[in-house]
Amino acid sequence: MDNITLGRYIPLDSPVHRLDPRAKIGAMLLMLIAIFIPAGWIGYAIIFAVVTFMVFLSKLSFTYIWKSMKPMLFMLVFLLIINVLVVHTGTVWLELGPIKVYSDAVIQTLYIVVRLLLMIMITTCLTATTKPLDMTLGIEDLLQPFEKIGVPSHEIAMLISIALRFIPDLIDETGRIMKAQESRGVDLKEGKLNEKIMAILSLIVPLFVSAFQRAEDLANAMEARGYQPGVRRTRYKVLKLKGPDYLLLAGAVLVLACMIWLAYFK
Amino acid sequence: MPIRFEKVSHVYSDGTPFRYVALEDVDLEIREGAFTAVIGQTGSGKSTLVQHLNALLLPSSGTVYVMDRQIIAGTEPKKLKSLRKDVGLVFQFPEYQLFEETVLKDVAFGPKNFGASPEEANKLAREALRKTGLDETFEERSPLELSGGQKRRVAIAGILAMKPKVLVLDEPTAGLDPAGAKKMMELFASLHKEGTTVIMVTHDMEQVFRYCEEVIVMENGKPKIQTDIKTFFRDSSLCRELNILPPALIRMKDALREKGYTVSDDTVDIKTLAKEIARQVKSHG
Repeated sequence: MDNITLGRYIPLDSPVHRLDPRAKIGAMLLMLIAIFIPAGWIGYAIIFAVVTFMVFLSKLSFTYIWKSMKPMLFMLVFLLIINVLVVHTGTVWLELGPIKVYSDAVIQTLYIVVRLLLMIMITTCLTATTKPLDMTLGIEDLLQPFEKIGVPSHEIAMLISIALRFIPDLIDETGRIMKAQESRGVDLKEGKLNEKIMAILSLIVPLFVSAFQRAEDLANAMEARGYQPGVRRTRYKVLKLKGPDYLLLAGAVLVLACMIWLAYFK
Repeated sequence: MPIRFEKVSHVYSDGTPFRYVALEDVDLEIREGAFTAVIGQTGSGKSTLVQHLNALLLPSSGTVYVMDRQIIAGTEPKKLKSLRKDVGLVFQFPEYQLFEETVLKDVAFGPKNFGASPEEANKLAREALRKTGLDETFEERSPLELSGGQKRRVAIAGILAMKPKVLVLDEPTAGLDPAGAKKMMELFASLHKEGTTVIMVTHDMEQVFRYCEEVIVMENGKPKIQTDIKTFFRDSSLCRELNILPPALIRMKDALREKGYTVSDDTVDIKTLAKEIARQVKSHG
């Protein structure tokens, strides 16, 4: 479980960590839109520079970011193969028997690679520097305006925070049940196919039972304390946008504007 | 063959900021056929200690000798499966391990994993269920619809059906009602009489006093005291020193001694104690 780096919070003390989650989510969305504006290589260079600066500010190590990109490598190879087979425009760069590699195929793949890379860098900047609970608070606030058209913003935020809260518990529980079944002779690593199915079943059924049990306990505990969905409530932690938050948002808007200018008005 | 720990240490998450030493240079020996209690505060390493007995946890350093096997730090243990058959480990709240459609199938799961034929496994399962006090009406029911106490008994039957030579229990009566707990303890006592080595992690001093023969007190990942029950409960001083509430009878004996009565160390039940006091009261006139 230790090798999952994508989307994990890294507790550090940096200017980026201290930013308001709403500002960070907003800036992330703006930057993601900016990536999809066809502003050419100059545009990507600008975005890359900005994002690199953010990573630097957040004190995250670049090896960490590199690690979270590793799972994407397989996808990139796959993409390249598809593009080479499908795209037949531009000039032929390489001929491998019956397969001709066109320039556009390579360039398009490169575009996708760069976009993915930038997207991962941006989202990592958000998830690695924002506590899950702060993130849900931010999401709740940002969804608030949509409540008029029936989006239950508080419930969505509650769902997300409950789900996040139970992840470590369920990991512990899995470990415990694994040990209990191993004590009964279950071999989770080896064995014939039907033995393996039985082994996995002996893990999944108790896990489900206890997850449902936990859900019921939590529901009862919340009800006992008077929780009512859909009722306006005050908050212990009140989010407030400060100077650096506005600066971040302004920066993101500037980047977006820059991309639009590069793409359509130059 | 006794169970022996030689310089055993166990470190969780070594090499990370979450590094935690749960056992440190543990040296101890548990006599074959004894009923041993492992006590100590939460986080003292009790559960880590007992999980070494069937190689669920492997020592970070040192060697564990269980029956004729050696579990040496840094090597893959051999004959793991047969070790797990011989050393039955009942976890805390074992009812969470139930998963089969019927009680009988669930109890027979262990023996089947250790190579018993279906008929044999069912026979062993029935035997184990009888021992835990569940009759044949339970066999075809779903284990998930039973009450908490019944689930616990099914789970323990699941371990007993493996016919372990060493039975390791991690707080087996936690959360049971007093009558259920007593029945459970009597079952373990009878298994002990039949020759099973029983090792029990517990917080209940009354149980330790009533059923166990030896005590191991764990503190900060090390066995602080290992002794027999008689020495441990001679009077309440040792318990007081360890911040444990001594059993009611021991507290009673202490109070009587304070009042000037002579009470034998060998008195372990309330009736003998009453007789002893009656004799002294009478002779005083």
